[in-house]
Amino acid sequence: MKWQFNADAPIWSQLIAQIKVGIVTGAFPPGERLPSVRDLAAEAGVNPNTMQRALTELERDGLVYSQRTAGRFVTEDQSMIASAKRSLAESHIQTFLRAMAHLGYDREEILTLLRQEKIEEGEEHGSSGV
Amino acid sequence: MAVLECKDLTKHYGAAPALDHVDLAVEPGRIVGLLGPNGSGKTTLIKLANGLLTPSAGEVLVCGAAPGKETHAAVSYLPERTAIPTWMSVKQLMDFYGDFYSDFRRDAATEMLAHLNIPLTQRIKQMSKGTREKVQLIMVMSRAAKLYLLDEPIGGVDPATRDYILSTIITNYNPEAAVIISTHLIADVEKVLDEVIFINQGRVVLQSSVDEIREEKGMSVDALFREVFKC
Amino acid sequence: MLTKLLKHEFRATARIMGPLYLILLAAALAANLTAGLLDADSFILNIVSALIVMAWFVAVIGVFIVAFILMLQRFYKNLLGDEGYLMFTLPVSVHQHVWSKLIVSAVWFILTGVVVVLSVLVLAFNVSFLTDLAEVFPKLFEQLNAYYAFNGTAFMLEGLILLFAGCMTFSLQFYAALAVGHSFPNHKMALSVVFYFVFQFAMQILGAFLILALDEGPLYQLLMRLDFHIDGAAAVHFAMWILIALTALYGAVFYFVTALTLKKRLNLE
Repeated sequence: MKWQFNADAPIWSQLIAQIKVGIVTGAFPPGERLPSVRDLAAEAGVNPNTMQRALTELERDGLVYSQRTAGRFVTEDQSMIASAKRSLAESHIQTFLRAMAHLGYDREEILTLLRQEKIEEGEEHGSSGV
Repeated sequence: MAVLECKDLTKHYGAAPALDHVDLAVEPGRIVGLLGPNGSGKTTLIKLANGLLTPSAGEVLVCGAAPGKETHAAVSYLPERTAIPTWMSVKQLMDFYGDFYSDFRRDAATEMLAHLNIPLTQRIKQMSKGTREKVQLIMVMSRAAKLYLLDEPIGGVDPATRDYILSTIITNYNPEAAVIISTHLIADVEKVLDEVIFINQGRVVLQSSVDEIREEKGMSVDALFREVFKC
Repeated sequence: MLTKLLKHEFRATARIMGPLYLILLAAALAANLTAGLLDADSFILNIVSALIVMAWFVAVIGVFIVAFILMLQRFYKNLLGDEGYLMFTLPVSVHQHVWSKLIVSAVWFILTGVVVVLSVLVLAFNVSFLTDLAEVFPKLFEQLNAYYAFNGTAFMLEGLILLFAGCMTFSLQFYAALAVGHSFPNHKMALSVVFYFVFQFAMQILGAFLILALDEGPLYQLLMRLDFHIDGAAAVHFAMWILIALTALYGAVFYFVTALTLKKRLNLE
C-alpha cells in the first residue's frame, strides 16, 4: 500500500481513510490478519501511537476486530465493507461538489459535464483498446 | 514519572544564554520533536541531559536523577557527530556496546546490520559517511533504553537514508521509553512525532501534540513552524 | 566498569604497540644474526650489518616516541575529541576514565622499557652471554644482601612502584594541561600547550618554596628534632618511599585538576 498524507488534517484521520480504502479495494482482504501496529506504523512512516489511535477508531466502527492474542483482523461482514465503500464514495463526491461549487457550477451543469466526460472517456477507452 | 524533566534550566556560554529558564517534561511512550532553527539551543539541551555540560542554573533530571553514570545507563544518545571510534570493526563496536550497556540487544543490532549488508568485519574507517551514521544509529537504537536522545539524526543524509533512519526509530519503538529527536527538518519527521517542542533563542516557545496542532490550527507542524519562526 | 574500560583501552593501544614491539625485536634479531658478518671482508656486508644496527636503534627511539604520542593521543582524541561524546555518556565515572588512561599508558611505558631491554639482550645474545647473565644477577643480589643487609626484592619492588608512579605523574601533567586547554571554546590545543608550561612553572615555584621551607623554616626544625635511628639500607628504603610519596603528591595535584575539569568544565566541540 502507498501511504500519502496532506498537510492540514490530523494524521490519524488520514490513516483511517487510507486503511478503509485498503479494506474496500482488497489490499486488506476480508477476514485477513492485519500487520502489527508497529509494522503498519513503520510501513506508513508514522508514529505508532497515531497508528494505534487510527486502528482503535476503526475497531469502534467495526471494520476491524481484535482477537486477544492473535491480533487484529479485517471484518468479514461484506455489508459493512460495502457501506464503508459507499461512505468513502460519498465523501469524494462531497469534496468534488464543493470544489465545483467554488468554481461556480450548479448541479445541472455538473451533471452535464460528467456525462460528457463519461462519453469522452468511453471513446478513449474504445480507441486505445484496439 | 517523566523520563526527562527540565526545571528552570539555564546555560550560559560566557555572557550569552544558550538556554534560558527552560521548563519541560517528557513522559514515557512519546516520540518528541525538539524543533528549532540552528543555534536555538537544541544541542545544548541534549548535552545537558547527557551530562556533557553542567547547567548554569536550574536542573535537568533524567528518570528523576541528575545526569551521571547512573542516568547514562538509561539514556541512549545519538550525538550530532560520528562518535564511534573509527579504528574499530563493527564486531568490536558491538563488543564495546555490549560490555558497557547491559540493555544492548546484540541480536537486534546484528539483524539490522545484516539487513543493510554491512559485514561485521568491516572497519568504521572504511565506511562512507552515510554508512557510519547508520551504524551509529543501529547501535543507539539496539539498546533498550528509557530515553533516546537523537541529535539531528537526519541532518546530513540523503532522503533514502532519512527514511531508513525514521523507520528504524519506529520499529524500535518501546511504549516504556521516550524518544527525543532534535531537528530543523520538520516536514520529514512530523508524521513520526507525538509531540513537538519549539525552541528559539534558548526559550521553549511551544509544547504541544501534533494532533492538536493539526486539529486546532488546521495546519501542519511544518507550516506552523514556518509561521512561528518567520524571519 | 574500570576493568572493561581497561580492556578496550588495551585493545585500542595494543594494535599499535604490539606490531612496533615485533619490529623492534625483529630488528634486534636481524642485527644479532648479521653481527657475525661485521668482521667479514665484504664491504657490502659490513654496510648491511651497520644499517641493520642503525635500524634497531631507530626502532628503539621510535617505540619510545610512539608510546609517548599514544599517551597524549588516546587522551585528547578518545576523551576530548568526537569520541568523547561516546565515552562521556558511558555509565562510567570520570575517575574511572582518567584511571583507565593512566594505567594503560604507564603499563605501555614500562613495557616499552622492558621490550627495549629485551631487544638489547636479543641483540647481544650468544650462549656464553646468557649463562654469564644468569650467573651475574643472583650474585649481584647476594652481594648486596651480604654487604648492606640489602633486600634486593624489596628494592626492586620499590623501584617498580616509583617507576609506575613516575610514569603516571608524567602522563597526568599532560592530561591536566589537555583537559584545561580543551575546556575553552577556542584554540584548545594551543591553550593546552600553554597550560602545560604554566603547570610546569607553578610546580617549580612550589618546589622552590618547599626547599626554602626545608632549609630554614619550621619544617626543618621539626625534622631536626625528630631522631632517626636508621641504618644505611633502611635509609635507602626510606628515601625511596619519600620519593614515591612526592611523585604521588605531584601526580595527585594534576589528577584533581584533570578530573575536576572533565567533570565541571567539559566542553566538547
